[in-house]
Amino acid sequence: MNTIIQNILVFTALALAVLFLIRKFFWSPKKKSSKACGGDDGCGCH
Amino acid sequence: MSKQINVALIGNPNTGKTSVFNALTGLNQKVGNYPGITVEKKEGICKLPRGVKAHIIDLPGTYSLNASSLDENVVIELLLNKNDKDYPDVAVVVSDVENLKRNLLLFTQIKDLQIPTILVINMSDRMAYKGISLDIEYLEKELNTKIALISTRKNKGIQELKELITHYKELSSEPCLNASTIDKSYFDNLRKAFPNQLLYKLWLVITQDVNFGKTDRKTIEAVEDFKTKSNADLKRLQQKETIKRYQFINETLKKGQTIDLNSAKDLRIKLDRILTHKVWGYLIFGVILLLIFQAIYDWSSVPMDFIDSSFASLSEWTKNTLPEGAFTNLLAEGIISGLGGIVIFIPQIAFLFLFISILEESGYMSRVVFLMDRIMRRFGLSGKSVVPLISGTACAIPAIMATRNIESWKERLITILVTPFTTCSARLPVYLIIIALVIPEGRFLGFISYQALTLMLLYLIGFGAAVGSAWILNKIMNFKSKSFFVVEMPNYKLPLFKNVALTVIEKTKAFVFGAGKIILAISIILWFLASYGPGDNFNKAESIVTEKFASENLSEDELHQKIESHKLEHSFIGIAGHAIEPAIRPLGYDWKIGIAIVSSFAAREVFVGTLATIYSVGSDEEETIKNRMAGEVNPILGGPLFNFASGISLLLFYAFAMQCMSTLAIVKKETNSWKWPMYQLVIMSAFAYIVALVAYQILI
Amino acid sequence: MTLADLKRGQQGIITDVSSIHIPLKLLEMGCLPGNLVELVQVAPFADPMYLNINGSHLAIRKETAIHILIETTNE
Repeated sequence: MNTIIQNILVFTALALAVLFLIRKFFWSPKKKSSKACGGDDGCGCH
Repeated sequence: MSKQINVALIGNPNTGKTSVFNALTGLNQKVGNYPGITVEKKEGICKLPRGVKAHIIDLPGTYSLNASSLDENVVIELLLNKNDKDYPDVAVVVSDVENLKRNLLLFTQIKDLQIPTILVINMSDRMAYKGISLDIEYLEKELNTKIALISTRKNKGIQELKELITHYKELSSEPCLNASTIDKSYFDNLRKAFPNQLLYKLWLVITQDVNFGKTDRKTIEAVEDFKTKSNADLKRLQQKETIKRYQFINETLKKGQTIDLNSAKDLRIKLDRILTHKVWGYLIFGVILLLIFQAIYDWSSVPMDFIDSSFASLSEWTKNTLPEGAFTNLLAEGIISGLGGIVIFIPQIAFLFLFISILEESGYMSRVVFLMDRIMRRFGLSGKSVVPLISGTACAIPAIMATRNIESWKERLITILVTPFTTCSARLPVYLIIIALVIPEGRFLGFISYQALTLMLLYLIGFGAAVGSAWILNKIMNFKSKSFFVVEMPNYKLPLFKNVALTVIEKTKAFVFGAGKIILAISIILWFLASYGPGDNFNKAESIVTEKFASENLSEDELHQKIESHKLEHSFIGIAGHAIEPAIRPLGYDWKIGIAIVSSFAAREVFVGTLATIYSVGSDEEETIKNRMAGEVNPILGGPLFNFASGISLLLFYAFAMQCMSTLAIVKKETNSWKWPMYQLVIMSAFAYIVALVAYQILI
Repeated sequence: MTLADLKRGQQGIITDVSSIHIPLKLLEMGCLPGNLVELVQVAPFADPMYLNINGSHLAIRKETAIHILIETTNE
């Protein structure tokens, strides 16, 4: 019983770590465009 | 919710703007980035009298509203965009009493934007010393503003400034001069074409290529009856505008400021005579570098050892206290040691930024830039690249964080990219054990030991690779950004403790919460890969090993070590080691070294510990590991695995390969993209591989 | 003569700046015709140059200094 809980926790931690890295890896570049730096927003990426 | 007053702090560099910010906000500040760019955004909350709160934003230092860098662009884009949530209700222009003339140029530009403006004249404690006296009343009238005469050093005038901010509605938002007279017909046309727009804003949009609201340069130029000018004409007009502003400022200061040169004293001349001297200047800089190096390398070893042992015992304690199981192991070996791997960098980061901020605050850094610029320029670097490159010898992470003050993005990027070549302290344990194994103990010419000589050569190779690759990058990188070199040489000042302390805290926080998270995540994954494996070979390791050694009558400890070693061999990471063996065999390595190289990605110094586990040596004692390594036999060629050829190959591989995930994480953070760290990883590692391959094949 | 010809400790008056080659930033820091300039210190090979222009202390590279025309005020 105990080992099962422990294993579940391990895989949760692993999943969290992988998810975190994937988010850092793939989503952060998108953030720029999702912020809608269009023609008239005045934010600094031109 | 009561409305907050939005306050923007604007000013030339070196006017003590950040000191004013620190005095207003104290610890109520946070540092982030502007979206999409790596310009620091500093904001904070200041409590004003009568329960009013002000949201203060410390804009990057700029000499004028004509932007020439990303930092300066941030200033102008905010001031032009009324819809920005940070658009200031009141602008506080910070100036330095000794450079009032130059500082007022920016002030007159801000006034033209018709934002309520307060003029702060800082460093008033220097007035008597410099023989300066000011007619505040006259200046307030001429400049159409309120003036706060303050001294952040002596903590004077801050309350008065807070009062002025509270009553910002009483401030005038009228300009103090009419710059449009420089070309009357041109500006009249402009006014006719856009009657609802502020003339100066239009002018900035035309000359800057920034946008605000729905108007940008193209829409202005598209309007009929409107003569556009060539870029050369525009530039001439800008020059005229600058002259016009200076005329106004000179006139105002002629009456508003008197300088008694007889009572002025100047420490600058005396200090500069020594500190920028062709010989003494370099000598003194060398001594200061030595001191910084000593601090990062040596003094921080005390807290680092303490952190190391604390986390080791915490890990031990966790293992013994919590119920046995996989998650307990993850906590003890993955998470706690991962956290330890982050915290252990704090002393080095804190020491480096302590020194850097003292050098910056005192004004000495500009002298270093002056001294080193010519030499560094040859390699596409800047005078400001010196400190990062040198501190990279301790650790690349604080070094890369220290590149932020290089204005030219190209020079900064090159510095970031080449810094990891310098020999950081994590390479040292690897170097030491391999040198001890493969380099003979004799002495060169009777007094320099070969081993010490090898170590020194490795440091030189690292530095040479950094400078050499900078030279190449400078040749191949094509950047549109024109770089020009204008460095202000500020007055010498005693650093303010508060500013230094806040810088150290802020940089440390930036590392722990920025790169730290990535390091922790990768530590967890690496732990998993080393602790889990597919198939029976891993899962039934215990019975396999017990059976195999049943006849040998091993002690429980020895048996346990054999099991651990067997498990590691068949774990995911062990399989990876086996998988890369064909690729690394031409370099003279076997799969065991392969595992050590793969796990070195967590941190290079793990190399020794990993080999200890693989060879199932119980202790981390260097001598025991060394003896065990010396006994390793090359499975194909016979003879010792760690011979001169494979040793040199391994040394060179560690000298060039990009194996430090913490560095990659910080490069990602500083360049705001995964592109550059991935280039570093691939190119540096490929280079390391080729060099190691050639070395081994020649030496064997 | 240009600013690059100045000797250490010498002073001059700026007569003309070639606005195509000189960054606006430098003009804004006081490098304008009519202003007094003094060469405070030079690094080896006279590059960069540490100047006092109109009360502003700054360092520029030689490649910039050759585009600033001056007249010496030698007594």
